[in-house]
Amino acid sequence: MTWLSLWSEPFMARALLATALSAVACACVGVLVVTMRLSFIGVCISHAAFAGALIGLHFGVSPLGSSMVASLLAAGVLGPLADRGNLSPDTAIGVVFSASIALAFLLLALLPGPKAEALSWLWGNVLTVSRENLWALAGVATAVVVLMAVFFKEIQAVIFDRELAAASGIPATAVFYAVLAFSGVTIAASLSAIGGLLVFSMVVNPAATAYQLTYSLRQLFLLSALLAVLAGWIGLALSALFNLPAGAMIVLVSTAMLLVAIVFSPKRRWSTATDGGKDV
Amino acid sequence: MSQYACEWRNVTVRFGKRTVLHTVTLGVRCGELVGLFGHNGAGKSTLLRTLLGLIPVQNGQVLVEGTPVGARQMSQIRRRIGYVPQVLNTDPRVPLTALDVVMTGLYAGIGIGRFPSRQNRESAQDALRKMQVLHLARQPFGVLSGGEQQRVLLARAIASAPRLLLMDEPTSSVDWQFVHELIWLIRQVHESGSLSTIVVSHDAPFLARLCDRVVLMESGRVLGEVSAEGLLDYLGRGWV
Repeated sequence: MTWLSLWSEPFMARALLATALSAVACACVGVLVVTMRLSFIGVCISHAAFAGALIGLHFGVSPLGSSMVASLLAAGVLGPLADRGNLSPDTAIGVVFSASIALAFLLLALLPGPKAEALSWLWGNVLTVSRENLWALAGVATAVVVLMAVFFKEIQAVIFDRELAAASGIPATAVFYAVLAFSGVTIAASLSAIGGLLVFSMVVNPAATAYQLTYSLRQLFLLSALLAVLAGWIGLALSALFNLPAGAMIVLVSTAMLLVAIVFSPKRRWSTATDGGKDV
Repeated sequence: MSQYACEWRNVTVRFGKRTVLHTVTLGVRCGELVGLFGHNGAGKSTLLRTLLGLIPVQNGQVLVEGTPVGARQMSQIRRRIGYVPQVLNTDPRVPLTALDVVMTGLYAGIGIGRFPSRQNRESAQDALRKMQVLHLARQPFGVLSGGEQQRVLLARAIASAPRLLLMDEPTSSVDWQFVHELIWLIRQVHESGSLSTIVVSHDAPFLARLCDRVVLMESGRVLGEVSAEGLLDYLGRGWV
């Protein structure tokens, strides 16, 4: 089978679709995570989702469903911890993160027989995405895009300043928890395609890249989704060309895009140029 | 309707075991421009934030135009209040223009699931015009100077035509030249909008030049109140 003939195969069409759906959902959630500075919470949720998938495998229930439950639970635990300040947010995230990893490794060790399926949730494989996963991705991507459009103004206010948004009558706490919940669901839905170790790069990298290039929130969402799909498809093409893991290639392409954007960021030049006038 | 724009009746606030407001009783009449003066930690900002329901009250009652501040009425109460905070928890590269920032002050009134109208946009532009920064409408908020950001935040606070304006340490991040302009701007906003205004500051000359009366606070207690001229005399007698 040649590289070009690969693209006419049904599994490749499914892979392209799964990559695009996952990229759009992750990129939209990524804009919220990056602008609200919740990146480490997201990393933590992605590892909890992986542990959840292993719980599903261990008990013979759907790994997709159990990873969604685990990621929502992690979001539900992290939100109040980060919010109420009983522990510093860093400490809370560190505790939940290491507990998730420990649980995942424990379940991995306890799983009887070959570990290939379990490890596929860690590394992901976009070429073997199931029909169930594709539908889940389509549902999540549609829901994320619709919700971002409907609640755009509330999101914009919360991104600017959560307390100021609350003070003006916007349900800022509800928006914050909805963002955490959607991060969890999106990460869980993308887990089988991208993998527990890499999925969060798909959330953060395109949004962080677009963040270097625009001051408009609308453009940030659009650019982030576009860059994510582009990174996904280029990564997929390179993985097919060089016979390398697709998830890793997608993340490396999106990382390269981020590095280029940082170097050529108009924001960097602008902030350097205006630093002198900040004291007035 | 209450003669008071807002009132605190025997209000006590505790953070853990520390009491930060001790049975505070205070009223601000409709149309007044009142200053809250005190050192850091006097409880001025806490007092202001109880009006917005951002800090829970352990004892006593907080009222805005006669309506108790509480969970059920909070959304309506907050829409009557324009608030300029002391510190923003905002990334300097936040993807919002000055006009976007002012628009965020109108969103609660527009309602969830509805899109801003042209009239909303015009209200925001009008507020920027009043603050003399309409030419900055399309500029990213993060690249504006401290004074420009303060004007945009003031425009945000007045865009929804509030009845009560709260400003927390408005001079803390601006230089002395802008303080003169700020006094003029706040007076303009206060008088043209039939507002009741409360300004929290530890800058005594600023409050003396701006306010009708100044309430003195120390260690979570209201010590009393003085006229604008009386504040500087009081300080001259060694309170600071």
